[in-house]
Amino acid sequence: MSGQRTSALVALLDEAAQGLWRARRMTVVSVLQIAVSVFLVGVFFLTAENLRGVVDTVKDESAVTVFLKPGAAEEEKAEVERLARESRLVARWRRVSTEEAGARFATSWKSLSRASSSLASSPFPETIELDLLPDAIQSEALRGFLPLLATRKGVDDVQFDVDWIRRLRGAVALIAVWGGAVGLFLAVGAVFTIANVVRLTILLHRDEIEILRLVGAPEYLIRGPFLIGGLAQGFLGGSLAVGVLYLSFRAVLRYVATTHNVLVGVFVVRFLTPSTCVLLMVGGLLAGVIGGAIAVRKKHLQG
Amino acid sequence: MIELYHVQKEFRGRRVLWDVTFQMSRGEFVFLTGPSGAGKTTLLKLLFRAERPTDGQILVNGMNVGAMSPGRIPELRRTMGIVFQDYKLLPTRTIFENVAFVLKFLGVPTQERKRRAYQTLRMVELHHRLSAFPEELSGGEQQRVALARALINEPELLIADEPTGNLDRRLAEEVMKLFTAINVRGTTILLATHDQDLIRGSGRRCLTLDRGRMLEGLVESSVPPQAPHRDPGTPPPGGDAP
Ligand SMILES: Nc1ncnc2c1ncn2[C@@H]1O[C@H](COP(=O)(O)OP(=O)(O)OP(=O)(O)O)[C@@H](O)[C@H]1O
Ligand SMILES: [Mg+2]
Repeated sequence: MSGQRTSALVALLDEAAQGLWRARRMTVVSVLQIAVSVFLVGVFFLTAENLRGVVDTVKDESAVTVFLKPGAAEEEKAEVERLARESRLVARWRRVSTEEAGARFATSWKSLSRASSSLASSPFPETIELDLLPDAIQSEALRGFLPLLATRKGVDDVQFDVDWIRRLRGAVALIAVWGGAVGLFLAVGAVFTIANVVRLTILLHRDEIEILRLVGAPEYLIRGPFLIGGLAQGFLGGSLAVGVLYLSFRAVLRYVATTHNVLVGVFVVRFLTPSTCVLLMVGGLLAGVIGGAIAVRKKHLQG
Repeated sequence: MIELYHVQKEFRGRRVLWDVTFQMSRGEFVFLTGPSGAGKTTLLKLLFRAERPTDGQILVNGMNVGAMSPGRIPELRRTMGIVFQDYKLLPTRTIFENVAFVLKFLGVPTQERKRRAYQTLRMVELHHRLSAFPEELSGGEQQRVALARALINEPELLIADEPTGNLDRRLAEEVMKLFTAINVRGTTILLATHDQDLIRGSGRRCLTLDRGRMLEGLVESSVPPQAPHRDPGTPPPGGDAP
């Protein structure tokens, strides 16, 4: 029994492969169509994921920098630290001396360090850095807290661009929404492409299907190959898209690295996670199966 | 094996079969004849449910063919071998694949399929054309491929619609020998033809259709096996052979 079932499955796969091969030109067209759709969705995913990465990095390092006036008194510095201690927004704080700031700059911006060391006096003022708690950015209290710091005696400036992060987060959300919408649109397009290709194949092979029926071919061997064909086209298209996306990602990265050295250092650019890649491939596969199912359901395949 | 009771068939109100009733028992070899347009092909189509009767009852191998659900049709057809008047070969597949395909969905392993397809094609003298496509074959060759396909799964019932229509006298006789051999092995055969020579020489039961009506039990067994009459168009057997 199981041997019989195995050979039936082999027969089914064999028929599907033969069908794809016989209609190879159409197969290529629909694979490419799906690949383009999945590729575009992948580009959206990639952009959104990386921008989200940037937001997360910024959030992790969300520190308020309090620039002190040159020669600020010790009591004035202590006052800032007292405010930090009493605030519910601040996790910890530390003083950063002029020398420390200079050294830090030198390590992270090597190419510029020579220029800075040649300056007569260090351009970096003394600062106090306050690390905010993770939820602090969303907190309303932050709006009052920052001006309070800024108006202390001995404080020159307080730097914390909440707006910038908010805007970036908005952009990420927008890209995700647009990516979703475009992705959905493209997915529907891919489904219909496959459905049409399969339907066309069925129409072209109408006589053949009739003959298969007349010699007693079971329904699964008549419809099955079209379904499996759609599935295979979708999976091939999805995989092709992920492959090309990866290669173009590497190419762009290499190009940017050679021309804009600095940028790559600042932003940690990542490719899609393996699970997102699998998601894209499965997306292509699903589009294929659904397309195939739509075509196979059509009236001209009814007995 | 086959039972028809008061079967009628109409195409868009035009009746082509009138009150057809006949029975065939297991192991019988019966001819079905009649002038062109008499309804032979239509009658055969009713047997494998390519058409449904307008009225009456059809039993094949115990199955009520007219009333059976569409899902069971493949099962019905797999118990039969059918030679179609217009061959119905798959144009995109080779001769070998056309013949072996039937075994594919019966779960026969690849090696066994190859062996049987080769054997069956050798019976119809086409084993040297395995990789040819149907359009590369002559009408008679295609007809023999259709025959091989119908025979490959050793069906219980063989339905053949003009299986010798495109064959010369020698091949037609070879094919008839083949049918006889298969019949001896137990396959029930219903063969539609208007080649009177085939029928006369056989001494078998013959059903005749005339404009859709069955003329019952015209058994031509009284005619001597070696009929003197020949088609004027076909040469005497062995005439051209070396
Ligand atoms: N699908 C159909 N639709 C309408 N009329 C049909 C159809 N099939 C057959 N007929 C009609 O039924 C009649 C019988 O046709 P059929 O093909 O059964 O004849 P036949 O005896 O097989 O003839 P031949 O010896 O030429 O093959 C013909 O008049 C034909 O026009
Ligand atoms: Mg006919």
